Amino acid sequence: MSESSAVPRPLPSPRRVRAAHDAAGEARTALRPPRWYAVIWSSRKARIGVVMLSVFLLVAVFADLLSPYRPDDATFVPAQDPSGAHWMGTNTLGYDIWTQLVHGARLSFAIGVLGGVATIVIAIAIGLTAGYREGSAVDDVLSFVTNLALVVPVLPLMMVIVAYSETRGLALLVFVIAITSWAGASREMRALIISMRNRDFVTAARFGGDSMPRIVLREIMPNMASLVVSGFIGAATGAIAAEAGLSFMGFGDPNTVSWGQMLAQANANGALVQGLWVWLVAPGLMLALLMTSLTFVNFGVDLLSNPHLREEDD
Amino acid sequence: MPTTPGPVLTVEDLSVQYRPALGPVVDAVRHASLRVDPGELVGLAGESGSGKTTFAQAVLRLLRRPGHVTGGTIRWGDTDVTDLDDDALRPLRWSAVATVFQSSMNALNPVVRVRRVFEDVIAAHDDPDRPTDARERAAELFDLVSVDPRFLDRYPHELSGGMRQRVNLALALALRPRLVLFDEPTTGLDVVVQKSVLDKIRELQARERFGAVLITHDMGTLLDNADRVAVMYEGEVVEDLNTAQAVTTGPRHPYSIHLVGSYAELLGERVPGYTGPEIAEPAEVPRPVAHDPVVQVEDLRRRFTRRRGWRTEHVDAVQGVSFTLREGAVTALVGQSGSGKSTIARVLTRIDVPTSGTVRYLDQEQHRPHDVAALRGAVAAEYRRNVQYVFQDPYSALNPTLTVGYALSRPLANYHHLGRRAALERAADLLEQVGLTPAGRYLGRLPHQLSGGQRQRVVIARALAAEPRLVVADEPIASLDVSIRAEILEVLQSLVADHGVGMLYITHDLLSAATLADDVLVLREGALVESGPAAEVIGDPQADYTRELLDAIPHPFARRTSA
Repeated sequence: MSESSAVPRPLPSPRRVRAAHDAAGEARTALRPPRWYAVIWSSRKARIGVVMLSVFLLVAVFADLLSPYRPDDATFVPAQDPSGAHWMGTNTLGYDIWTQLVHGARLSFAIGVLGGVATIVIAIAIGLTAGYREGSAVDDVLSFVTNLALVVPVLPLMMVIVAYSETRGLALLVFVIAITSWAGASREMRALIISMRNRDFVTAARFGGDSMPRIVLREIMPNMASLVVSGFIGAATGAIAAEAGLSFMGFGDPNTVSWGQMLAQANANGALVQGLWVWLVAPGLMLALLMTSLTFVNFGVDLLSNPHLREEDD
Repeated sequence: MPTTPGPVLTVEDLSVQYRPALGPVVDAVRHASLRVDPGELVGLAGESGSGKTTFAQAVLRLLRRPGHVTGGTIRWGDTDVTDLDDDALRPLRWSAVATVFQSSMNALNPVVRVRRVFEDVIAAHDDPDRPTDARERAAELFDLVSVDPRFLDRYPHELSGGMRQRVNLALALALRPRLVLFDEPTTGLDVVVQKSVLDKIRELQARERFGAVLITHDMGTLLDNADRVAVMYEGEVVEDLNTAQAVTTGPRHPYSIHLVGSYAELLGERVPGYTGPEIAEPAEVPRPVAHDPVVQVEDLRRRFTRRRGWRTEHVDAVQGVSFTLREGAVTALVGQSGSGKSTIARVLTRIDVPTSGTVRYLDQEQHRPHDVAALRGAVAAEYRRNVQYVFQDPYSALNPTLTVGYALSRPLANYHHLGRRAALERAADLLEQVGLTPAGRYLGRLPHQLSGGQRQRVVIARALAAEPRLVVADEPIASLDVSIRAEILEVLQSLVADHGVGMLYITHDLLSAATLADDVLVLREGALVESGPAAEVIGDPQADYTRELLDAIPHPFARRTSA
């Protein structure tokens, strides 16, 4: 018989024990879960991604300070080797490659943010409506459109739309990217809201007399935040790649400077044959690094929605 | 006592820490010791969060990161397994130590027949020199747990919950282990099935002499079945209680007194040294006599039709049930899982519609009857406000991203058109009414900053906010720890006594129905088998089924009373 549990201290009354128990419970529950930025920062990949992304952002913001020339200044001696005056040399058209490179970061950033936002907004609007009205005619129609958008080959569609439009520019690119790439994220949103809609707290809000839009905005959306953010980052990555692709094929705005445009010009003017490999490699490398950094940040965002991943090694 | 071989499990001074990548280190188990002898059933009791499950996982060497064993030794029989690696553990698992998990549905592979699972287990551990006939052994095991061997060729979803849990028991015994660990094996099963499973375990233990550890927060079950109960509190084993002693002289540690006492109180028994919340009092408070009927249910039927291949099948979930719900009165709806309780609740809350029969709502002003299935406009809005719902699981009923103040102010804003400030003041009043004082401390909190009992109080306060005439409470205490169940019952009781709210209390537990309800409806397979005033139904049950339900309630103190 085990008597090891004999308590040396005078026994407090059970009432007292409960008070102590409640206090302990409060102390325990008062521990906040880690804040979102701490969670993201805890992942080594995400740290690398955040640092890389910050560097790109600084380059884009301070592009004017990083280079003494204008990006559309084509008055230099063509095809110079790198030198103190031209850090990466000049290309065969007489532009300074370094200047174009730092200014190109601006367009890539703008297209990433705007294209990502536009894509995710469409995805949320359609996914939420279809999911909340699951099984109805509205859902049938929206799901059909979503499925259609999923199977249409995206790149040819983009090219057709751009080719037939009268204006060229940032707004057109954002529009084209958004309406061709929302479908995948929309499917995710729809699936998530179907699972959310049947949660007890949503039923409770209905008993509390809340309207459908209010339930979606206040009860459901905050619980989807990490999925929306990771969807946005994915969409931004896609938008940057799409812009580069379109520009490379000559569908971009020839008056702007972007990494895709640089690649297109380098290709058209035979950069490699002339030994100007910097012209070709630098913008390609920048694109790859920017998209890599976004993907790395997404590893951190994943930790927000799935706490089990936090315990894995990087 | 016959010659006792050594213990089948010895845990000495075990400590487990959680060391998450983010956040502070948590001591989940502190210097816990436990010994299990052959044929012995040792209970492990404690609230959620007391470290029971962590302890069990560590003992089984199934602890996952971020958990780490930081001290102590674990021995299975004579083998020290504290530091053995997976390769060394593999031959021992299942043959020396087996386990039955909480969710029986998930423990069996849904895509293979039950027989395959048995054959796999037996083949994986078989001695190649003396092969066992897996088919024969599986049939033998089914006999052991009193399940017809024909079910070996079924798929898991074709078995009922109780049967599935017995199959899991058979599976755990397949290799004649010396220790079986049960992690809440009967949670989610109703009382009758629970009793049959536990009786089976005891009977098999007597025959096969395996040691068993039973983890549960149901103190009644433990006192009724176990030989000893180890009480865990904040990660420590605070008392190793002999159950016979527990019901006679009572436990010694204040926490065990609290645990045993709060259960005993429901049965109307006293435990020395226990002064819990007195919930018996409100029964003596005179209640308003004139009870206006709110909802009249007449000959309610609900038939579910399912197409299977060429045939259509019917399931009659509710068959001709009639009752009346009144303001200021509690009606308990009691029955096993699958008896149609939830279907009735869904019809009342307008999530589902009846196949035939009527549910009438009598409006507040003129008491005119309205058919609930066809409510429109203003009456529909009145019904929605006046019939509120208390959820079973307080962990899912509150939005994790919104504060208590917001949750409470929504019904106030929608139904009483209060402004932000007025709504918050009213919300504070409501919190005080359900015993969360000072209310100011709770308004700004998020659900994860509250304990389970506090959450359920918030859920009740939210239902109260609309000032309803009727509250449908669907097993409101089933997922709470035993020691806080009494408090929540107390809150519900004051709701009826102080506010004159009517309540439909849905439960599988006749014991809590007896303390709370005025009338009891006993439901079986969709039909009423007995109904009447609570005292009569419980004191003098007429139907065999009611008696069966009553008998299934663990009553460890009966031994003391009769002795």
